[in-house]
Amino acid sequence: MIRNLKEVNDNNFDITRSAEEVRNLSFKDHVCIGCGICESTCPVGAISLNEIAIDSRVQLSNNVYFSGHEKIAQNIHEEFDVQRISINEDKCVLCGMCSGLCPVDALVLTIDGVPISEIEAYPHYIAFSEIDDDECVYCKKCEIACPRDAIAIERVLPNRADLVTGEIEVNKDECIYCGVCQELCPAEAIVVDKETGKESIEIDTSKCVYCLVCKKACPTNAIKALCRICSYGEYDIDPAKAVIKGNSVIDSESCVYCGWCEGVCPTDAAKVKKPFEGTLEVDQEKCQACGACIDICKCNALAFPVSTGPGSRLDHIVAQPDYCIKCKACAKACPNGAITVTRTDVDHTPVNSATWIDALNAIKD
Amino acid sequence: MPKHIASGLKYLAAVKLKEAGESHQAIADELGVDRSTVSHYLNGSNLSWNSIDVARTITELTPRDFLIMANAVFKNPEQSRKIVNICKIHVYDADIEDSCIGCGLCVNVCSMKAIKLESLKAHINSVQCCGCQLCKDECPTDSIKILEIK
Repeated sequence: MIRNLKEVNDNNFDITRSAEEVRNLSFKDHVCIGCGICESTCPVGAISLNEIAIDSRVQLSNNVYFSGHEKIAQNIHEEFDVQRISINEDKCVLCGMCSGLCPVDALVLTIDGVPISEIEAYPHYIAFSEIDDDECVYCKKCEIACPRDAIAIERVLPNRADLVTGEIEVNKDECIYCGVCQELCPAEAIVVDKETGKESIEIDTSKCVYCLVCKKACPTNAIKALCRICSYGEYDIDPAKAVIKGNSVIDSESCVYCGWCEGVCPTDAAKVKKPFEGTLEVDQEKCQACGACIDICKCNALAFPVSTGPGSRLDHIVAQPDYCIKCKACAKACPNGAITVTRTDVDHTPVNSATWIDALNAIKD
Repeated sequence: MPKHIASGLKYLAAVKLKEAGESHQAIADELGVDRSTVSHYLNGSNLSWNSIDVARTITELTPRDFLIMANAVFKNPEQSRKIVNICKIHVYDADIEDSCIGCGLCVNVCSMKAIKLESLKAHINSVQCCGCQLCKDECPTDSIKILEIK
């Protein structure tokens, strides 16, 4: 009789079944956002969300002041070293529903080596993040704002010499090789050899920006220089050489479509489409400002208020719904039930199976 | 003895195929034996009636037992699939409920290769289904109903 053979790799929840087709389910804890959609979706109840150190948070919440707290909030996940979810390998039937409904692809089911995100029969969330290179000025604001460090911007600046134009000349008869010009030059374009008998002065015109500091400082007026831009306005600059070039990369594994890049982009080059729409609210009456939500939130959509001075008490949490992906991880992590997240819209590709449609509808409020 | 039972099952299959109007050559190809062997079978020679009796009893067991016995006797999934398909007594149809999640466990467990996944739902081909209900037992959402239609 053909039986199902399941191989279980305990290190990272790798489950494999092979017979007619090879199915493999793997879990990446570093990608997981702790939303718990897999737990509520699994038709055989094989997945459970691990609670991360709620008890110690409640203790913390009674004694939270600004100094050093942010550090505690960041480190608590590592300190307790808990996987965000547990999978019961005996119960799992490798149907792939958890993988299909995971908004960040932390759970990946592959069938004969092909992830179901590439198989048309399975539903896929309609979400993307992209940076339009035609609009991007490579200011790196998105790279700094991205809470997942998913963006890498590389830029190549034009040469300084291509942005200026001028003339500079040293009268060697008058120069006393004192080195004042070298010390003052902001562009490090001048090299003076002061050694007796070997005196020399070199000006590197590829570095010189014609700021005229050397000319003004020279004790013997040995330097003649002029800046053509200052003297005559725009002059002789090749616009093609004055362009900032670069490229941008978004790591699709880390990106959670939070929208920070779009929010901070000054040129509308970053565009984000989120898989879920809805609302995020914090009940300030119930909130004890323990920071559990801040730790679990991968989108920086929740934050402590800005300090009003040393020792000021952190008595509430500031929510930024614009950067929330409505994953509900914060609402599950909050020990006081102070956070309400509603998911009103789930955008996904069509699917024929009734059970899968029900499962997708069930994650809406 | 298993070899005799295997011959008995092949005999029964040959008779069924002959009744269905197949030529000796077609029967030989289908069962993977010589044409002369088929002729011997159909002339009633070369086999003990005892082994045919045992074979017939096996085909009359519950479909699951028949399938298990065939797999044990032939030790060749393809051969036993053919024999069971030819010698099965009833015709089965399957009703897959909407609760099917498309996990594919039934596809894996089906010795008859009667099940395919389409649009995340199992579909059972009643021509190939032998009615063993192994899929029904394996289904995590209890979505399979096997019906005897003839």
